[in-house]
Amino acid sequence: MVKYSTRKQSEITSSAIALCDRLLSELEKGRRPVLSATKCSLDNSVYTPSIGYLTPGSKRVQSELNVSSVKKISRSLFMLEILLRNVNVGGINTKRELYYISKGLLKSNPLIKPLDFDDQVESDATIDFVCEILECYREELNCFANDRGGQTYSQHLIVTETMPNGETAEIDLSRLGTSPFMPKNRPQNLTLKAKGKIDFCLVLESEGTANTLVANGITKRHPCIVVGAQGVPSNAVRGWVKRIQDQLTVPIYFFGDLDAYTLQNIYRTLKAGSASSLIRNKDFSAPDVRFLGVLPEDIKKYDLFHYDVKMNDPSEARSLKKAEDALKNDPFFRSNRNKGLVKILNWLIESRKRCEQQSFFSVDGRDPLIFEKIIIEKIKSGSYV
Amino acid sequence: MTNSSSQITKSSTAEYFAKNLQQVGFSSPAKAVLTTLKEAMDNALDACEEFGILPEITVIIEKKGKGHLRHTDRIMIRVVDNGPGLTLQQVPMVFGEYLASSKFGRGRCSRGQQGIGISAATTWAVQTSATGARVITKQKNMKKALSCMVITDLKKNQGIIKEKEMTNWDREHGTSVEFLIDGRLQMNGEGGILAYLRGNILLNPHLTLKYQLPDLAPTTISRVSDIVPVIPPSLPPHPHTMKLGEFMSHARLFGRIKLSDWLERGFSRLSRPEITAIVKTSGYKASLAEQTVTSLTAEQLKKLFATIQEMDLRPPATKSVITIGEEALSLSIQRLGQIDYFSVVSRRPIICDLKPVQVEVAVARLQTKGGDSDEAVQVLRFANRVPLQFDRASCAIIKAISSVNWRAYNLKQSKGGLPSGPYIIAVSIVSPFIKFKNASKETIDASDELVEEIRAALMKAGLKLSRHLKKEHKERELESKLQHIEKFSPILVDTLCRLTNANKERRLRAENGLLKILGRDNQETVKELQAAEVKLAAHLSKQKDSLVMFNDEDKQLMHHEEELSEKPLDLEEAEPKKKTKKAPAAKKAPAAKKKKKK
Repeated sequence: MVKYSTRKQSEITSSAIALCDRLLSELEKGRRPVLSATKCSLDNSVYTPSIGYLTPGSKRVQSELNVSSVKKISRSLFMLEILLRNVNVGGINTKRELYYISKGLLKSNPLIKPLDFDDQVESDATIDFVCEILECYREELNCFANDRGGQTYSQHLIVTETMPNGETAEIDLSRLGTSPFMPKNRPQNLTLKAKGKIDFCLVLESEGTANTLVANGITKRHPCIVVGAQGVPSNAVRGWVKRIQDQLTVPIYFFGDLDAYTLQNIYRTLKAGSASSLIRNKDFSAPDVRFLGVLPEDIKKYDLFHYDVKMNDPSEARSLKKAEDALKNDPFFRSNRNKGLVKILNWLIESRKRCEQQSFFSVDGRDPLIFEKIIIEKIKSGSYV
Repeated sequence: MTNSSSQITKSSTAEYFAKNLQQVGFSSPAKAVLTTLKEAMDNALDACEEFGILPEITVIIEKKGKGHLRHTDRIMIRVVDNGPGLTLQQVPMVFGEYLASSKFGRGRCSRGQQGIGISAATTWAVQTSATGARVITKQKNMKKALSCMVITDLKKNQGIIKEKEMTNWDREHGTSVEFLIDGRLQMNGEGGILAYLRGNILLNPHLTLKYQLPDLAPTTISRVSDIVPVIPPSLPPHPHTMKLGEFMSHARLFGRIKLSDWLERGFSRLSRPEITAIVKTSGYKASLAEQTVTSLTAEQLKKLFATIQEMDLRPPATKSVITIGEEALSLSIQRLGQIDYFSVVSRRPIICDLKPVQVEVAVARLQTKGGDSDEAVQVLRFANRVPLQFDRASCAIIKAISSVNWRAYNLKQSKGGLPSGPYIIAVSIVSPFIKFKNASKETIDASDELVEEIRAALMKAGLKLSRHLKKEHKERELESKLQHIEKFSPILVDTLCRLTNANKERRLRAENGLLKILGRDNQETVKELQAAEVKLAAHLSKQKDSLVMFNDEDKQLMHHEEELSEKPLDLEEAEPKKKTKKAPAAKKAPAAKKKKKK
């Protein structure tokens, strides 16, 4: 099993140059150079309960230089050159910006025109391949995704951010008024400190519902942290929740819709990472997160509005199909440790029902705090998985 | 209850249609022209096929000035055929009387069904131009041709003959019908004259069509098959296609006849062993089969009907629907333009919505439109070999095409839409009882069963297309591999040298090493490419071979292809007329016996 840890950029640069040197030497000898990278897919994912997140197995992807791969390897080296230049001069870009940077370079040099990317999907894949070869995070090569999700509210949390130049900035979340704190894609630069005891951290799938809870005063009545995930958690959200887990040791609960997509895609990614990002799950997953709901038993207990899955809707039908596949092939769901989640998935597949998180508002339409009350009641009574 | 001011009056069929011509395709000036042409041409084709004559049809359309209605032209439409011709008694019935038809309710796959369309065209001519249908017709045994004008007596629903005279006509037999109507000429687009002619050319490989249209050079499209399709005779109804009420009424048509004889003769696909099983499964003694049908109670008939519906019977006979066939379609599709690929699929007839139906599909790629056209494919819809040109959105054929995932077959397609590209997708539905959505027969009702059947045919054609495209793709891929070597080798070495600050010697050695490596690959790719080329050529040759139905017609076909390559093949891109030739005089054209349609 390969273990990864964050490295200094100088180390990554050195290993990249060494790699290029090796490739050149192979060419000089008339031998086919081979690029090797960790295989990031479900069939190379390993889930160990004691570790708690998906780690890469022993499978590697190898690209040997030939007529079929010469384009891919040339593009990878071209992108590597751009990324290393960024690292050297301290430039930071998003994937989209790197796409346009490459377009600009290709436009100015007709000799390298054949490397041109048809669309951003191609340049993104090349960036990911470079990271897999160098076994580093994209952020370590100064490539950041657009920050999405993770709006965080608390009256009891202070974040200290270490800037690239070594200076630090302290952010007291209780002094931000109604504005939330937005974590960045490099959570390793953040240090957390609690002001007093924090009871729990609540991660909500819907950012809108998180805003509602805070607007209604949940953070004033309860010492807690509220995070809006905004759907499938971005790297920023994943890294941020991991940071909360490691540095504050508070119980973390995830609350989202009761459907196959939420459980198998959103929650699994938050808790154990994803198969496509095996090399970064260590810093971008929070294995201690618990699934607070919506639970199947909540539907009966609170008489919640729920719906049948529309099997004629391709996306809903696909989610159920993927859930069935996950039960068979996903090591996370095959582990005994997650049998509670497996039970829910099986219930979803058999009953073909779904229930949205906002349905808790239907319990008592006249009480604006009903959602908060149920959440607190569920946490206190241990109604989670 | 009525009062004196609201008297109940009776109207004739002709009066009804005269007031509701929009229901039978005369809802706009442009549609009036197309419907008139369509009715005349469908009748001509049906008449020829009925008598086993290879149809040779001439269509002449001319503008004769400004029309009487606002924003219309006076349009002359003449259709001349070589059919069997009509008798004096038949002429007024065919062209002037509504619902006078040789095909109504016969359960055959003829183009016309009810006998409305051509009479409606006559009425439109009377209403807009104060003329009727100018008919010249001659049968084989006639020395002179009958020439007359037919109009409709709306009160009596009768055709009236005027200006009758016997005239010399140099044809042995045939019919010429000419209408002078107010209308607007729409040549292009899905509802255009050219699209209609194009559809007929595709679905009638045995048709020789000559047409002369305004602003276009006279064009002749020769037949590619010498086989006249035989319209299958109507068959006794299949029991699964009947409803209970029909079943019980059917029982009374045969008089005092034994139950077993009635079931055997009155229905298709019921034989003695099956009849015995029906009686037994219904819980009756075997002797019931020997009782007369008239002696059976309603309860007994209901029980027998229920048993029959539950039984697995053989599907309706294939001969009950007319098949164009993959070979004939393959030949005919070549007449639509410069086509570099096609696939045709003929499904076996099945029961859809209680009626026998056969679906045939042809997919062709037009060279003339370029490889990466983003326009939606051209769809040609046919019902009993008649092109459908209006109200496409709700048609079963369009729904079926849109519901297929063409991306799986390497065609571009927006979500829920038609695929795009330089393709023609032609879908033909043939059935003795097609469920049209309206009397003008413009669109086929999109029942789930029918849509599913069309989908199955389309997917099979798509699969064939996909296989071909993959072969082409493989060859292109190998060619691009060869180009990769030339393009990327210097870039790769350059980048590595820059990243490692390598000196000139290293660069030179690396370049040589790379050429050595890729040179070996190059040789292998060339071999693969040669093999792929051979395979693709063999595939195309096989496809071409399948076109040649008759060995002795090879030369004729080649000659025809040469002819097509010289003439404007794509009807939409036909050259503007350079020399105006005088249209062949109607009086000199042969005549055909007309069969009423609709």
